[in-house]
Amino acid sequence: MRPPRALWVPFALGRPLGAAGDADFQKAVLRSTFDLLDSATEPTIADYPVEAPEEAGPGVWACPLSLPVTTDPSYTGRLLGEVARLRPWALETRTNRGRTLFGVTGADADQIDEVARALGGIADSGDLNAIEDGAVEWAFAMPLLIRHLADDLRTFYHEAIASQPGSMAPNHDALNEWIFGATALGDVLQTVADHLTNADTFATKLIRGFLIPEGHYDGGSAFPASTAFGAAD
Amino acid sequence: MRARAAAMEPVSSAPWITPKPLGESTVAIVSTAGLHRRSDPPFQPGAVDYRILPGDVDFGDCVLSHISTNFDRSAFQQDPNISFPLDRLREMAADGEIGGVANWHYSFMGAQPNHEALAQSGEEVGRLLAADGVDVALLVPI
Repeated sequence: MRPPRALWVPFALGRPLGAAGDADFQKAVLRSTFDLLDSATEPTIADYPVEAPEEAGPGVWACPLSLPVTTDPSYTGRLLGEVARLRPWALETRTNRGRTLFGVTGADADQIDEVARALGGIADSGDLNAIEDGAVEWAFAMPLLIRHLADDLRTFYHEAIASQPGSMAPNHDALNEWIFGATALGDVLQTVADHLTNADTFATKLIRGFLIPEGHYDGGSAFPASTAFGAAD
Repeated sequence: MRARAAAMEPVSSAPWITPKPLGESTVAIVSTAGLHRRSDPPFQPGAVDYRILPGDVDFGDCVLSHISTNFDRSAFQQDPNISFPLDRLREMAADGEIGGVANWHYSFMGAQPNHEALAQSGEEVGRLLAADGVDVALLVPI
């Protein structure tokens, strides 16, 4: 690719303007980008030299709640118990922000339990096509819906973290370490990923790769090491 | 992914354009965050299509259906301007730093290793930007 003018930024993926909630920082990045309109005379990639403000990484940040909730023998039960503990914090965040990103699955903002039951049910049954009809107008067919059930629940979990007291916000690595190391959601996602592995089709392996972040499926990638999934020959 | 990229045809450069002063320019955002309104169909794997976002879009009415799980979405939850800086552009327009904010903005979904497949939809968005009087397109990859 040869964009006419590009600013290479040192920020984490998902944060192209560096610092959430910091208008001055974001506008400084934009100004450096727009400056290239005058300074560049040929296809140019310039480096942005300013790092984003530090956030708490793994080992520095910890969720103050005692998770996972382990009193129920089923994945669904443990997940619903965990959702119930996180709900007050998540709703507080939604009130403060006046919005939520929850609902990519087609679920309404308050249908958190329905999404949790759907994903927990797959972990418990191993049936990758099992989804209850009626309460939710799902926006995806199975098994692709599995990918987005995970996202809606992660959205909810991130909302729950955002309102909790603490001096430093967790970075992306810390959030992943928490979800996959200390929550029933992480257990559910790993179990569903195992079911996708056992189904052994191109589609289920692709969804597995999109379900678990790099480094968190058995300590490695959820994408198979195959040229069909972009690996080098 | 690197192997696929290396096998692709290089994109030839378009004629170089020197835009008019930024303070007179209308700016639009083109995103690859998989952002769209709740009423829009979600992005599917391998998507080469795009969604339209009006300049007065309510971020509460938006979701991200990007297929990848390997980028941080918590920052977008906290502040959508982290990758879709609509409020920032409005502020810069109010301050006279840019001429104005476009009526329409666009989101593709990334995770598309075959950039050649995006040619038709990309050119279509280009025509839409031109028809909307856009002088500068701010491409913000996720």
